[in-house]
Amino acid sequence: MDHFNRVRNILTEILDLDEQEISQDSYLVRDLDVESIDLLEVALALSTEFAIEVRDDEIFLRHLRTLIADAKAEGVDPVARIVETLPHIPEKRAKEMVADLGDGPVLKVRDLVDYVGHCCR
Amino acid sequence: MKLSFSGKTVLVTGGNCGIALALAPLLIGEGLFPILCHRHGTGAAKIDEHLSPWAGQYATAFFDLACPEQMGALFADHPGIDYLVDMAQGDYETLVASADPGRLARYMAENIGARAELVRLAARAMVGHRFGRMIFVSSAAAGMPGKGQGLYSASKLGAEGIYRSAGLELASRGVTAMGLRPGYVASGRGDRFIEQQGQGLVKKMPGGCFISAAEVARALVFFLSDTARHFNGVAITMDGGFSAGK
Repeated sequence: MDHFNRVRNILTEILDLDEQEISQDSYLVRDLDVESIDLLEVALALSTEFAIEVRDDEIFLRHLRTLIADAKAEGVDPVARIVETLPHIPEKRAKEMVADLGDGPVLKVRDLVDYVGHCCR
Repeated sequence: MKLSFSGKTVLVTGGNCGIALALAPLLIGEGLFPILCHRHGTGAAKIDEHLSPWAGQYATAFFDLACPEQMGALFADHPGIDYLVDMAQGDYETLVASADPGRLARYMAENIGARAELVRLAARAMVGHRFGRMIFVSSAAAGMPGKGQGLYSASKLGAEGIYRSAGLELASRGVTAMGLRPGYVASGRGDRFIEQQGQGLVKKMPGGCFISAAEVARALVFFLSDTARHFNGVAITMDGGFSAGK
């Protein structure tokens, strides 16, 4: 089973959702109404499922806004700073995040999939 | 009333203190499995000496608030921890204005910062199996410190805050937490203090006696039980009424 399906299985179980409700482009907070305690359970389940050490701050992009704000204040390209600090985020996705930030939390299911993929390399 | 327990394994920090040694046989009697923590070989030997009649019904493990980086190994070795009774506490009594700056910083880092790491690891283990109960053994001095207990009191209050939030944040996943604030306990450091104060102190106790380690241990067993699970996010004072009046 590929990483996305394994991540989706975890999300369906913890969030009590159907598979059809979760896609790679689902926003965790905006679309799936995920709360902090759910994210904790997701992190624990991912670490068990993939036998990886999940760092909650990184996988859930907890400091993304600060990261971008600091980069701008320092005159650094925010996209470059995201890719440098969070190596599981592809450049294309980082650009989307910067553009999308005004509409709310940007974390998507595909970001979790990218994180486990990066850790499992 | 017969107490019931949804879990089995109890991690006890400060496992060679008098209260822990009184607690362990009670836990074993309830069908639970205590893991008593120590910082050195002397502590482990003391535990084994006191609990020799119950050999094989408990375990010992290394735990030191001064070594938070080693706590992960403890939880990796014992992944099924259901209960935490946290009694570890550094000993540093001084007037705040007299404190050594380096020792002050280490004391707070160990007794608040490292304890937060303990709670973090315990919480993650407990949320993983959707059950857990944590009790922080605080002190009546948290709310009413004597002179020289400023850092002790502040670290107890800080730690109580960590446990309170853990109980608040994790209750929906079956994990609850509370603090117990014993008053003058005739055991360990408390015993030394009581001896120094003489008979004058016992006269201030409303019931005319100090609290024994066995009495605190029995209270802990109750607070660990399923019956007490709604004591969550609070710190209960157990001082015989000492702090109720003046």
